Amino acid sequence: MTELLKFSAQPKLRKPTLVIGWESDTARLGGKVTDFLIKTLDAQPFCDIDPVEFFPLGGVTIENDIVQFPQSTFYASREHNLVIFRSAMPRYEWHKFLNLVVDVALIYCHVKEMYSIGGIMTLIAHTISSDSWATFSSPQIKKTLSAYKLSRDMDFETPPASRPTLNSYLLWIAKKRELPAANLWVPITFYLMTVDDPNAHKKALEFLDNRLDLSLDYTGIDANIKKQNEKLIRLRQSSEEVDGVIKKLERNQRLSEEEHEYLVKTVDDYLRRGKNQG
Amino acid sequence: MGIVLHKEPELHNPEMIVGWPGIGNVGIITVETLRQALQAEELGEIEPWDFFYPNKVVIKADILIDMGFPGSKFYFKRMPKHDLLFFIGEEQPATRESAYAEGKRAYEMANLVLDVAQKFSCRRIFTSGAAIAITHHTAQPRVWAVTNQKGLLSELRSFDNTILMSEVEGRGNQGSITGLNGLLIGAAKRRGFDGICLMGEIPDYLSRMPFPYPKASKAVLNTLAKILSIGITHNPLEDMILQMEAVVDNVYQQFPPEIRERLEQRKFTTQAKQEAISEEDEQWFKEHIDEFFNKDKGV
Repeated sequence: MTELLKFSAQPKLRKPTLVIGWESDTARLGGKVTDFLIKTLDAQPFCDIDPVEFFPLGGVTIENDIVQFPQSTFYASREHNLVIFRSAMPRYEWHKFLNLVVDVALIYCHVKEMYSIGGIMTLIAHTISSDSWATFSSPQIKKTLSAYKLSRDMDFETPPASRPTLNSYLLWIAKKRELPAANLWVPITFYLMTVDDPNAHKKALEFLDNRLDLSLDYTGIDANIKKQNEKLIRLRQSSEEVDGVIKKLERNQRLSEEEHEYLVKTVDDYLRRGKNQG
Repeated sequence: MGIVLHKEPELHNPEMIVGWPGIGNVGIITVETLRQALQAEELGEIEPWDFFYPNKVVIKADILIDMGFPGSKFYFKRMPKHDLLFFIGEEQPATRESAYAEGKRAYEMANLVLDVAQKFSCRRIFTSGAAIAITHHTAQPRVWAVTNQKGLLSELRSFDNTILMSEVEGRGNQGSITGLNGLLIGAAKRRGFDGICLMGEIPDYLSRMPFPYPKASKAVLNTLAKILSIGITHNPLEDMILQMEAVVDNVYQQFPPEIRERLEQRKFTTQAKQEAISEEDEQWFKEHIDEFFNKDKGV
């Protein structure tokens, strides 16, 4: 087990909290949120999981001309008594991989609570606010977090031909190993799934900020939210069709498959074009 | 990674019958039908963690209650002559790239199954699956047989509606069996078990369809029952066969008329003279298969 864990430091922490984000999860939310925390809190790397058993290493992928290599790294912020785990999603040996994550949490860091961040697609307009919610490893942690209004009293069973998310798998392992844990589910409007949704980033960060007293500065994120909202307003003003489809959503009307696809493609093209133009 | 046995019955000279999903689920339906008909008792399981991604999460009032994994279970049944051991795997331990098991994990799974066979001193191992054949869905499927011991060939030849793979028209002496239903017989040979794989014919044009083909399972079940001298009074596959015939007919009617016409000719010629579907026709099936069904999307 320890051969797969590569420690570069042993941070002194006092029963810290662990926050987990997967870099390529739904709308890349987990990766973006953990990136923000690592940078803002100046968290330092202290342990990596060796990728050899968990990722296909027959080559590398390239994104925007940059070679990508799967990384699974733990960071620590002593000041905030926080451990952050940011990782690519493993392709093999999930049970072993997730148990390694919980090993680092319990055996090396004595983590007291674990939060994983996930996005979930919604079919509502970006102009309509929707709340985040959570699933919990036990009634106790649900009760502990009751002030954050994350409960929906939801019952759910994976439908046939679908699979649970990696975050649910992790929550189950945390439950089995008696690590209090919660998965935070942040709603992301379907036509913002392929581009960044700074509103969703902020929602996830606000929960962590309130819970862990991180005193985060949202200036940059607020600016991104404002910029994106203004772009979407301009897009609606320039295209009656886009405006009409979003209005349908705002009136809680169901979209046709064509309208759905049209909105996703048009918004994606427009926001990316704007992004590339600076 | 391991085997968990809930009980350790003393079994008399048992035979092991193994099934995993595959094309048309021919093999697993055969084995599951026999297991249910004989009311075999659960014996144990292979722990799923190292082989499978979970297939189900259960949440009640926001609390994660449980997580489900594909089952890999052993069963046993005492019989007058030879007792029976069953192994039924709900999924093959595949990677995302392939629907069938391959590589290290597949070999590990095969050996865990054989560990149980060895523990109970099994005589023979049976697997079953589908044989993609140039045939028509209205024809009675035959059963192709292969074994890992020369000495078993003559016995296999003696069963009705059962032919050796090398005797299938146009096949010659070469062939392969994809996934664990084949690999297990190979691994069994390496460990000194006699092994037999029985494959029910499924028409080539249905082999990519995401539905079961119980007609082939029935053919395999009949051969297996004869080999094992088991009498099955009521074959529970009959109802399933009737249901699936309606589904197959519906899909068949959606084929382009020119493809259907070529396939219809198979009804009127002997199997030796039948022609495989053309590359163009196969391409058409690949491109249009999703149009026949409304597939659920994963979450």
